[in-house]
Amino acid sequence: MREILSLVLMAIGAAFMLIAGIGLLRMPDLYTRMSATTKATTMGVGSILLAAAVHFGEPAIVARALAVIAFALLTSPVAAHMIGRAAYFTGVPLWRGTVIDELRGRYDRRTHALESIRFPELERRLADLQVYRLRVPSESAVIGKTLAEIELRKRYNVTLLAIFRGAHVIANPEGDVQLLAGDELILIGSHERLREAMDLIYQSS
Amino acid sequence: MTLEVMAFPGALSILSLAMALAFLRLMRGPSLPDRVIALDLIATLAVGMIVLYAMAIDQPVLLDVALALALLSFLGTVAFARYLERSYRP
Repeated sequence: MREILSLVLMAIGAAFMLIAGIGLLRMPDLYTRMSATTKATTMGVGSILLAAAVHFGEPAIVARALAVIAFALLTSPVAAHMIGRAAYFTGVPLWRGTVIDELRGRYDRRTHALESIRFPELERRLADLQVYRLRVPSESAVIGKTLAEIELRKRYNVTLLAIFRGAHVIANPEGDVQLLAGDELILIGSHERLREAMDLIYQSS
Repeated sequence: MTLEVMAFPGALSILSLAMALAFLRLMRGPSLPDRVIALDLIATLAVGMIVLYAMAIDQPVLLDVALALALLSFLGTVAFARYLERSYRP
């Protein structure tokens, strides 16, 4: 019985590690590769160590195996986070099919400090209003249209505070500003109406 | 019991295959962090192999080696990450 349990755990562990290897080789960019390897290795090493604990069955060895598992569970996410962070800062590219990069433009390249655009005071006082930050996807139907054509204010009762375009900011944009792919819009409005505006912006042409 | 006789070489060869795949990624890169995570996976696979070998030859003392290797690989990865982040000038 114990032998069978140990063999099953071993098989699970080996399978997970093989998946980690395949994922590392096949995934399209660093971040997805890391996603494949870190989870699979924690689970893989965990299962194999549990197999060892069951196999030997002595309390001292079981304790040691559990200690290694606890260590792996603690360190693997930390190491992955550090590498991911270093890679992001050093400009390792994301996969072309990446849908959203929420960190983009939100950290200081020099100090590596992270900031997010929030209006805490405003949000507290205007309880019904939300501030949204969203990115115009590359195949959006609104690309190339001017703000006057989209009529965010008239149709959705949503106000566009600013557009983040690459390195510069277009604050309080005029009606003749055209939207481009990759623009980040800071919108203010009620939750439901913002959702509707989001549907429009995320709609593909 | 034939199953058990097969199990250890089988599991070890699966891990070796995974290690070969990780080596391919280590060679290909393309970025330095890619190579670092490939090395990290190789170290993790080595930990798994040591544990399997400990079971195969009934030597629980080898689990200490696995623990030491896990510790070293963690420190190595952290050191790499620090180095990458610090040495980068935008």
